[in-house]
Amino acid sequence: MSQINRLTGKGLVDHSKTVSFHFDGQPLEGHPGDTLASALLANGIRLVGRSFKYHRPRGILTAGSEEPNALVELRTGARREPNTRATTIELYDGLDAASQNRWPSLKFDLLSINQLASPIFGAGFYYKTFMWPASFWEKLYEPMIRRAAGLGYPSKQTDPDHYEKANAFCDVLVVGAGAAGLSAALAAARVGARVILCDEDFALGGRLLAERDEIDGQSSQDWAKAAAAELESLPDCRILRRTTVFGVYDGGVYAAIERVSDHLPEPPAHAPRQRLWRIVAKQSVVCAGGFERPIVFGDNDRPGVMLASAVRTYLNRFGVTPGRDAVIFADNHEALTTATDLSDAGATVRAIVDPQPQRSTAAEEVVAETGALYINGIIDAVSGAHGIKSVRIKDAQGASKTVDCDLLAVSGGWNPVLNLTTHLGGKPKWDNALSCLVPGDLPPGMRVAGAAAGQFSLQACLASGEAAGADSAKDCGFSPSACSRPAPARDVGPVVPVWFAPSSRGKAFVDFQNDVSVSDIKLAAREGFRVPDHLKRYTTLGMATDQGKTSNLNGAALLAEATGRHLGAVGSTTFRPPYTPVAIGALAGHHRGKDFRPTRLAPSHAWAVEQGAVFVEAGAWMRALMFPKPGEAAQDTVDREVANTRNNVGVCDVSTLGKIDVQGSDAGAFLDRVYINGFSKLAVGKARYGLMLREDGFAMDDGTTARFADDHFYMTTTTANAVKVSQHLEFCQQVLWPELDVQTVSQTEQWAQFAVAGPKSRKVIEALLDSGQDISNEAFPYMACGSFTVCGGTPARIFRLSFSGELAYEIGVPARFGDGLIRAIMKAGAEHGIGPYGTEALGVMRIEKGHAAGPELNGQTTAHDLGLGKMMSKKKDFIGRFMGQREALNEAARATMVGLKPLDPKMRINAGAHLAPKDASADAENDQGYVTSQAYSPELKSFIGLAMLSEGPARYGEVIKVCDPLRDYETLAEVCSPHFIDPEGERLRV
Amino acid sequence: MRITCPYCGPRNLEEFTYRGDATVKRPDSLDESATEAWVDYVYLRKNPAGLHKEFWQHTAGCHAWLEVTRDTTTHEIVAVELASKGR
Amino acid sequence: MSDLQSLSALDGVSAAGRFGNPDGNAGVTLTERASLGLATLEVRKDQAVALAERVQAAYGAALPRGPISANGTGVRFIGIAPGQWFAVSETLPNEALADDLATKLHGLASVADHSSGRAVMRLEGPAVREVLAKGLAVDIDSRVFLDGAAAVTSIGHMGVLVWRDGEAFDLAVFRSFASSFYGWLRASAAEFGIDVVT
Repeated sequence: MSQINRLTGKGLVDHSKTVSFHFDGQPLEGHPGDTLASALLANGIRLVGRSFKYHRPRGILTAGSEEPNALVELRTGARREPNTRATTIELYDGLDAASQNRWPSLKFDLLSINQLASPIFGAGFYYKTFMWPASFWEKLYEPMIRRAAGLGYPSKQTDPDHYEKANAFCDVLVVGAGAAGLSAALAAARVGARVILCDEDFALGGRLLAERDEIDGQSSQDWAKAAAAELESLPDCRILRRTTVFGVYDGGVYAAIERVSDHLPEPPAHAPRQRLWRIVAKQSVVCAGGFERPIVFGDNDRPGVMLASAVRTYLNRFGVTPGRDAVIFADNHEALTTATDLSDAGATVRAIVDPQPQRSTAAEEVVAETGALYINGIIDAVSGAHGIKSVRIKDAQGASKTVDCDLLAVSGGWNPVLNLTTHLGGKPKWDNALSCLVPGDLPPGMRVAGAAAGQFSLQACLASGEAAGADSAKDCGFSPSACSRPAPARDVGPVVPVWFAPSSRGKAFVDFQNDVSVSDIKLAAREGFRVPDHLKRYTTLGMATDQGKTSNLNGAALLAEATGRHLGAVGSTTFRPPYTPVAIGALAGHHRGKDFRPTRLAPSHAWAVEQGAVFVEAGAWMRALMFPKPGEAAQDTVDREVANTRNNVGVCDVSTLGKIDVQGSDAGAFLDRVYINGFSKLAVGKARYGLMLREDGFAMDDGTTARFADDHFYMTTTTANAVKVSQHLEFCQQVLWPELDVQTVSQTEQWAQFAVAGPKSRKVIEALLDSGQDISNEAFPYMACGSFTVCGGTPARIFRLSFSGELAYEIGVPARFGDGLIRAIMKAGAEHGIGPYGTEALGVMRIEKGHAAGPELNGQTTAHDLGLGKMMSKKKDFIGRFMGQREALNEAARATMVGLKPLDPKMRINAGAHLAPKDASADAENDQGYVTSQAYSPELKSFIGLAMLSEGPARYGEVIKVCDPLRDYETLAEVCSPHFIDPEGERLRV
Repeated sequence: MRITCPYCGPRNLEEFTYRGDATVKRPDSLDESATEAWVDYVYLRKNPAGLHKEFWQHTAGCHAWLEVTRDTTTHEIVAVELASKGR
Repeated sequence: MSDLQSLSALDGVSAAGRFGNPDGNAGVTLTERASLGLATLEVRKDQAVALAERVQAAYGAALPRGPISANGTGVRFIGIAPGQWFAVSETLPNEALADDLATKLHGLASVADHSSGRAVMRLEGPAVREVLAKGLAVDIDSRVFLDGAAAVTSIGHMGVLVWRDGEAFDLAVFRSFASSFYGWLRASAAEFGIDVVT
């Protein structure tokens, strides 16, 4: 069997070349230019899948992205993709597709037994069944439903392909390259506008490729080809094929997905699979075309029932006849075109079934030409489960007639594809003359043309497209000449559309993809669901991959009928992006795996990697957590790094702290207003600790600020808050106090800065200093800062600051020397036993010292709570002053920072644990505070913790209970000063 | 959404950081009787349907704080000015 | 002078060579502009006129009022914000530019050194706009983004200052992001092929 339904020499496929592919393991052939659907039809395959709920056999209904039935798993292995539409898959050599939702095989599917249980699966069955007993839901019902329902299965392997994003800007974006879209693009691009033309198809032309129309003496196919060629030749027109504009956003922003490599077995080397476009367009013309409506009747889902427009697409574009013996059921003139096209292709048209009573002269001619029966009636019954075999036609008088056929072409008229017009909240309008919804209020800058605007005839498409393209160009400042095509009189749809033909048997499907039938909609209406969006949620009508493209209006019409209202009053569901499914990978683009978000590397990163450092993410930064020796346990590493720093000297990269240059003649006054304590009187050559509050009086950030000149300060912030503090300062400068002469700029990236800490740190720094400079305790005391040169003239800033509580310095050099400096520090420190320490040891030492950090500056603590209440100046204005003074923020009962020592030094003080009186039970009533930080102190040989405790400082010496019910843990601890080590600060000042 | 920064030109929304109501004025923090004004300034915000003046910062661009007049029902941006202007 | 080794932002990050699509001429060429003098200057309160005059006198450049650049003697001044400029110099390399500006513009502008804080990359070639479009959400069409035009924006969540110099684009990204940025660039340029020159 080889392409038995291929029409030799017909269509736009390349008959001279053969493409091999597999469907359900069966080797088949098609031609370049085919879709998977057209190739399957060419091979006489009508049964393509099983439906969602009832596992009913399904075929191919459409020839486009609206396809609800023909969903397949495409590719195998890591690239296997479920629920791809056979009607949009471009055939390639080696394509491998499989049907879905069937077991063991497509023709014999055990779960098709669900059809017998269909009363259970009626509207809202999720809410009505499987409800009892509740405990069965998770273990039994849900897994069972998940196994039975759903469609295809995705690959569980990592996607081997890459995706990317791109930005584009244009004057006029044209969505859709059919008659209207090509006309619009030509009108705009010919006068020099920057045009982007997107079409979801791989060939430009839309319905022009599918019909046998004539334009300007050419076939519509040739006209489309010539128009595309002209657009290609225009330098400012960019054509994006295989690209779906799927979303409209505020400000003329459009999202589009380009399937760069989906039509190839795998992406070529270095090419992405898909590209997500963000298009910013001054104007847009939506020429998205129309969807043909099915008519709802019994067993209307049988393979071989196909939309009439799709029948013509397969005939005229793909050179495939979807059947040999056809019956046509349509309430409009599409019936006649379809009959003629089928007949001319060599198929037999057995009957034309017209539910409308009037028979036109055109119909007479077609009947004469094709020899078809013409019956005023409806389809009463369909035979053939795996593929239609015959239909029973009931005429207006009630007489029945059975006609053998293998194809039933159906048309219930057309709907404009108006999805994009509604993404910003526009509501479609009901058009009585056309019997369909048409676009309502449009987003700024958008025009609609062609079938999407309800302009269904070819002449109307061409004329409205040209006019919209020219007008758009005009609005962008170009001067288009007068339009060449006069707008024709508005064409009219079926006088009375037929939504539903009451057949005598079989389920009548409205939504094929979700198996929603007429009875489901009637039931939902009886149960009070009157709004289409509610109907959607309750019945699943219009959900999933097709979002009801072929079912929404039929569903709304049936709802209108069931609730006795006019369809125009019922309206439609709300369309939201995306228009068609978009892979999550495309939305992520480059940002997956290690590129999930960018990382920042500190100046000593390469050196730290050489040392075998273990890294931790701190915001975007990668910081060295610790420097383990081979085989060393983590706790031993941290203990060693702490001990070595406290006994000898350690070095830590602190470049990640936020560093902000504050300059200007009012810089001091400015700092007075952003810190709770004063800075304008800080001497040049000195640094000071400062705390910033938010305006509500809670602590925001802390750090040290050094003064290098009267008009030059250098502020540090915590690593985490660097950006936030910058923005805050800029707000203060620009909005609150623009009268001050102050300028701020981040210097975080400019300076590589290292903390050199420990009793021997001075010796290390001295070894680096160029001669003639003095950092003795007298010349350069605690909290001094200054500019120096080190290592043969390298400019350096040295600060005598300590986070560890030891004698310590921070030394900064321009970042280009950062790598060199860490190596120089290690070399100079070798004789003093220097060792690097990571953020874990840094954390231990600051907890031992009782310095607040991120866990204490948690947005809920005030200066008072941190033990810094006395720092708040009474005299000056500063951010947070007024609200920070509130009594409730300063009362003793507030949780205030304390230290905790477990009675048993081997017991942890879990961070996050809550505190209760010793003999009280661990419940919320007795909650008196919480643990913020915990560490093991090698010096005290005990676990220790920092905590926020009610009336904290008054309770030193009291034993309290540390409760961690989450981890089922309790221990007793003694409340103490947070300054575990060297409370007088003697080590700092030696 | 796009915001036209008076300095940088039109840019995508994600370049900007929202702060909120731009009509509030910071009271004098040394005026000890200004409790009510401070509560208003720190906590109380109107939520108008329609035109609203808002602070945004062009954080990924020039860092300028902006006063953006936006229609909260349509997202239409009517005006964008530097917040430092006229202060 | 320094005994310490000076490393450019891309040292250890990018290696010279051809990457991505190996066919034909590379779509883009990447050259690191290492050792440039880079500095910001922000006008002091009420000194705009005096600053402009001083810059004109000292460097022969008219400070631009928008996001464009003005070329002076050895120094390019790029508008990055109201009252703020990013200065770039080959002739006053590394820290020398900030030192020079701080001296000559003393009292009129606050100057900060960024010579170590940025990686400056020059991108050129027939595919340069297509490569940049994969991250740059700014219209860089030659009729819109004129020679000398500049934009402070971001690429892949990384801050970037981009300016056009003839048919080349210079990008200044933060030093700590150099590795991540280079990763984005290599991936984005792969389909066209990229020549990395060092």
